[in-house]
Amino acid sequence: MTEVGMGEIKVKVRKIKRTRRENKYKHYPIVEDNSTSAHEYWEPIVNTGLWSIKGYQVVKGPWGGGTVEESLRREPKEFMVIDRAAFALYSHSYGLVSPFFRGLLEGKLKGTKCPKCGTVYCPPRAHCWNPKCRVADCEWLDLPLTGVIHTFTVQCLAAAPFEHQLPFSMGWVKIDGADTTLAMMLHISPRELFIGQKVKIGFVPKEQRKGDLTDCYAVAVPGQKVPDWACLQKDPKELESLEASMKQTIEFIKKRYGLDNSLKVRGW
Amino acid sequence: MAGDERVAICDGGIFRPDLWHGENAEEGVAIAYQELLKNVPNLTTDDIDALCMSYFSDHLNGQLCMGWIVQDYLGLHNKPGYRVESGGSTSIDAIVNSYYMIKSGMFDVILIPGWEWMCEVDVATTNEMIASAADTDWDFPVGGYYNAYYAALEVRHMQLYGETCEDLGRIAVKNHNNSLRWPYSQWLSQHGKAPITLNDYWKSRLVCWPYRVLNTAVMSEGACVLLMATESKARRFTDTPMWIAGVGLGTDSMRPGDRTVDFAYEGMKDEAKIYPDFVEPIKTPYPDMANFASLHIAAKRAYPQAGITNPLRELDLIELFAPYDGVELCLWEDLMLCPRGEGKTLIREGIVEYGGECPSNLSGGLTASGHPVGATSLYYTLFLYWQLAGKINEKCGPKGLQVPDARKALITGHGGTGCQGAAVIFESD
Ligand SMILES: [Zn+2]
Repeated sequence: MTEVGMGEIKVKVRKIKRTRRENKYKHYPIVEDNSTSAHEYWEPIVNTGLWSIKGYQVVKGPWGGGTVEESLRREPKEFMVIDRAAFALYSHSYGLVSPFFRGLLEGKLKGTKCPKCGTVYCPPRAHCWNPKCRVADCEWLDLPLTGVIHTFTVQCLAAAPFEHQLPFSMGWVKIDGADTTLAMMLHISPRELFIGQKVKIGFVPKEQRKGDLTDCYAVAVPGQKVPDWACLQKDPKELESLEASMKQTIEFIKKRYGLDNSLKVRGW
Repeated sequence: MAGDERVAICDGGIFRPDLWHGENAEEGVAIAYQELLKNVPNLTTDDIDALCMSYFSDHLNGQLCMGWIVQDYLGLHNKPGYRVESGGSTSIDAIVNSYYMIKSGMFDVILIPGWEWMCEVDVATTNEMIASAADTDWDFPVGGYYNAYYAALEVRHMQLYGETCEDLGRIAVKNHNNSLRWPYSQWLSQHGKAPITLNDYWKSRLVCWPYRVLNTAVMSEGACVLLMATESKARRFTDTPMWIAGVGLGTDSMRPGDRTVDFAYEGMKDEAKIYPDFVEPIKTPYPDMANFASLHIAAKRAYPQAGITNPLRELDLIELFAPYDGVELCLWEDLMLCPRGEGKTLIREGIVEYGGECPSNLSGGLTASGHPVGATSLYYTLFLYWQLAGKINEKCGPKGLQVPDARKALITGHGGTGCQGAAVIFESD
């Protein structure tokens, strides 16, 4: 049972069971089911949470049109600000490129190849986007677990669901044999990270895989020297300031989430 | 026939962007509309043939069809009305759509109300919701943050063409200090009148390398309305109409990672500066994950309509949609103000500063003056309107950055990582 909010009617929501789940695929066999527990978790939240008001504040602030100065000159007004929640759980099909994501679950990388122009796609496309190929159907192929960093960034801030993983590096990797590049996490210290770096693709432990791109990550092929043209390391001041910022971020995450995300603990 | 006439921007009204407003969206739009009615006393509601509502988000406020609320709040709910939505492109597309609607001959006068209320959910979640404009199967799961995607694009450009973090800092200093001269600026409201220096830049928080807080767009709540009309109607509303002289649209791949085989742009060899020899060549060297082909092709379409052959010389000022400072630098290249790879020269030599040959973002732009998405390009178009009308000092006081005798200006807007964009060229009589 879930209870939320201020002074509202307390709704008791029973846990759903598999048999009671909304089943829009009822004409088709479910070959694998790894989602009922998610629905058990989410549906009570959705059923108690949607559109109900959880609280309010009254804020005294500036109002009206004109410039910054003009609005600050007016006597402020009191505004009532409510807190309202909305949630949803989306059941989304990966479509014809589902084999790629099932491949991730098995620790494999798959791509597709256009039979007409020979372009190899990873991320795969079920249909070739080369205008000359007239949306040709592509064929599946297995790709090696190696590639090259096409570009990267190091994040000290992130959107809500990724915040607890900060700081981290993400980038786009051109898997060997593919022509397009795949976004993924880079488990590489900023001291070593550069465009053109050769990487190996690793996978999180099997029981943690979810069938999305965070199942895999890149690590540096050992023994590479950072070239003197590498943009992050070229200016030692810049690297220092990034590392100082990462340290700050690590402290914030420790306080907020109780996690030690220091590079040493993470092993990169 | 009406469609043969030129189309003008005939003034507008601002409800200034800020991190938070007590007023809600429809009230903010109404306040901006009040200002328009003050600026254009001849305008009656009978004159307005249709409305084009500009706002991008349904989920930031949990309200579908907010356009209906706004239209009714203004009392204009018996008029034809459409909503335009294309992420960050929304507000420039509202202008382009209205231009096409007027050019079609079906409507003479269109009111564009634009707004965005972006601060109802916490900032990390707002970023998450905005990032759902990226491919949610392929890009969003890795970081879920446009700051990161744009940072990675800038890293690639930086590696290929050699601009430095200091160049990004110079652009940040230029924009923030410009915004202090524009009295509606969000930076001014949040941080006061003190100019910033490169030293402040180095001290500002790193968000995603190489971008610092001062390089990134602000979150805003704000509104703006624009009035657009045919030439014969425009003359009734204003003595200083700003004509739309050229319009170009462009799109690019949803996922920036696919731009290594960007077949749709294959053969743009004139734009494919040879890579430095340490970088392995890719199948289609332009735009790569570095430049913005959608804006390049948009400009290529718009310039001939406006008779522009040398944009750096012929444009008196430009307002670029640059949510991150590296974007502004890349766009100088994509808009052909300089060859690919030479954006850094324009900031180093002061060409894009006030007083330079082609000042860029004198308003302060998205990183300083405000970025309420659905209002953003309307707000900066109105800035250009006051520039071309010679009214900046009337609006901003003696400190305003009026470009003397400004006659031709350009604005761009885009969404995603340059997935869709537009370039619009304005001129005065
Ligand atoms: Zn093909």
